[in-house]
Amino acid sequence: MKMIAQILSWISLVVLMVPSVLFLAGKMSSLDQVKWVMLLATIFWFVTAPLWMWKESD
Amino acid sequence: MSQIDNEKMCESNVTEEFERQPVPKSSLLGFKSFIGMYAGEHCAGTELMIGPLFVAAGVSAFDVVIGLLLGNALAVMSWMFLCAPIATRTRLTLYYQLEKICGRWLVILYNLANGIMFCFLAGAMITVSATAVGVWFNFPMPELSDVYPNSVGWVLAVAAVGALISVVAAFGYQTVSKFANIAAPWMVLVFLAFGLIGLRQFITASGAEVGSFGDAWTLAKTHIWKGGDPLPGQVKFTFWHITFFAWFCNMAMHIGMSDLSIFRFAKKSWYGIAASSGMYVGHFMAWLSASILYAYQLHLDPADTAVLPGPLAYRAAGIAGIICVIVAGWTTANPTIYRAGLAFQAIIPKCSRFTVTLITGAIATIAAMFPYFAMKLLGFVALYGLILMPMGAVIFVDFWLIKKFGLQSSYAEVSKTSFNWAAFLAWVVPVSVCVWLFKAGILEIYFVSLPGWFLAAILYILISMIYQKKIRPQINPKQES
Repeated sequence: MKMIAQILSWISLVVLMVPSVLFLAGKMSSLDQVKWVMLLATIFWFVTAPLWMWKESD
Repeated sequence: MSQIDNEKMCESNVTEEFERQPVPKSSLLGFKSFIGMYAGEHCAGTELMIGPLFVAAGVSAFDVVIGLLLGNALAVMSWMFLCAPIATRTRLTLYYQLEKICGRWLVILYNLANGIMFCFLAGAMITVSATAVGVWFNFPMPELSDVYPNSVGWVLAVAAVGALISVVAAFGYQTVSKFANIAAPWMVLVFLAFGLIGLRQFITASGAEVGSFGDAWTLAKTHIWKGGDPLPGQVKFTFWHITFFAWFCNMAMHIGMSDLSIFRFAKKSWYGIAASSGMYVGHFMAWLSASILYAYQLHLDPADTAVLPGPLAYRAAGIAGIICVIVAGWTTANPTIYRAGLAFQAIIPKCSRFTVTLITGAIATIAAMFPYFAMKLLGFVALYGLILMPMGAVIFVDFWLIKKFGLQSSYAEVSKTSFNWAAFLAWVVPVSVCVWLFKAGILEIYFVSLPGWFLAAILYILISMIYQKKIRPQINPKQES
């Protein structure tokens, strides 16, 4: 379970970054799309990361 | 800018256990612990103010990029060669080390100065978070040159954010500290995204063709960090301003030795290099990213000079950007208020920590209502380092040099005095001289701490010669270690 949460949360960080990289490269033209993907990735990170990071912080 | 102290370690039971004794070998931490801690801590809400203020100060591309590379390297070296070697040899907290040298009452005075500076720093962090609230409620927000609060909406937003942060801090900030650890990797990447998005916006707006590093550098020089005159009311920043600012903005922590409390847990003194994670993530990448967003705002409308992290972040990254501003301000203001409360509580121990922290939070919140403190953050950060720096010089001299002059180290402890006048004068005189140099226009606040450190070190030796031998000779010389 912990490993799945870990993998999902790392994926969410990749998803967070990809749109801004694509936007810089001119491969993604809509800034609104970038913002929405970043928001979804943010939500995903804050749902999955505490599942494994909260206990590690103890 | 940085976040004060290192809640991860300071909050832990380990630290509490070793407040008045050296950290034992069994409790030492590995290199990775320091890398993660510094990277997270130096990506704070105030980075979103500092980057734009560089642009407002009229920096050029070369000055800001190379100046930050050099200044941050100097800061890392200060941690590595000044702070960490003493920390790993004594393995004591800053406060206990100071108490041994300066005596209890002087440490209380130091705590008072520290607490006051923390209050204003926390105020700037609350200001940053409140600008995010402004995006939703659309009330008039402060301009770059504003000194006083300029709308009821602003005052209410700051009061609400400040009250929330203060109450959470008063209950203890362990939960927030854990949340901050979780937010840190995400926040660093959002800061990076700010820069990438801002860069693309510049490319589009300027119609520049960017196919190589040379093209990007040309864009940076001609559109982002153009140099020239600063905005009205701002000091012109050159290469040396940037270098010294980057070096000294955490002066209280490295040269001022505040991070003795952190590096006493390090196995080796070279772990000081771990601070580079914080410097080059927070004080390089984050500052540059934030400054790109502000430069883009000026590019769109040169009259729109307000430095407001909330709207800047929203324009680049939407709601994720707003969340980043709130989280960055909140997770850093919270421990700052908590630690300011602890510093004040040491002065009035009869008052509960809860009450003291609430009062501290109220002071920080009132400070946050005045945009002057946030808009003049560059100067304030330099002043903060200047005020706490001389005690670092005293510790340095006491540890490495004082015995070479035939004097006693840890003098307060050995002579059982609660107020070492030599240390007090070595603190107050350099700060007074530096403030005078600054006020007289001889040396700017950003540079004045460098001669100030040497003055403090020399004064501590000279005054100790008189103080230890003539005025207050040691009571029991056999106690010399």
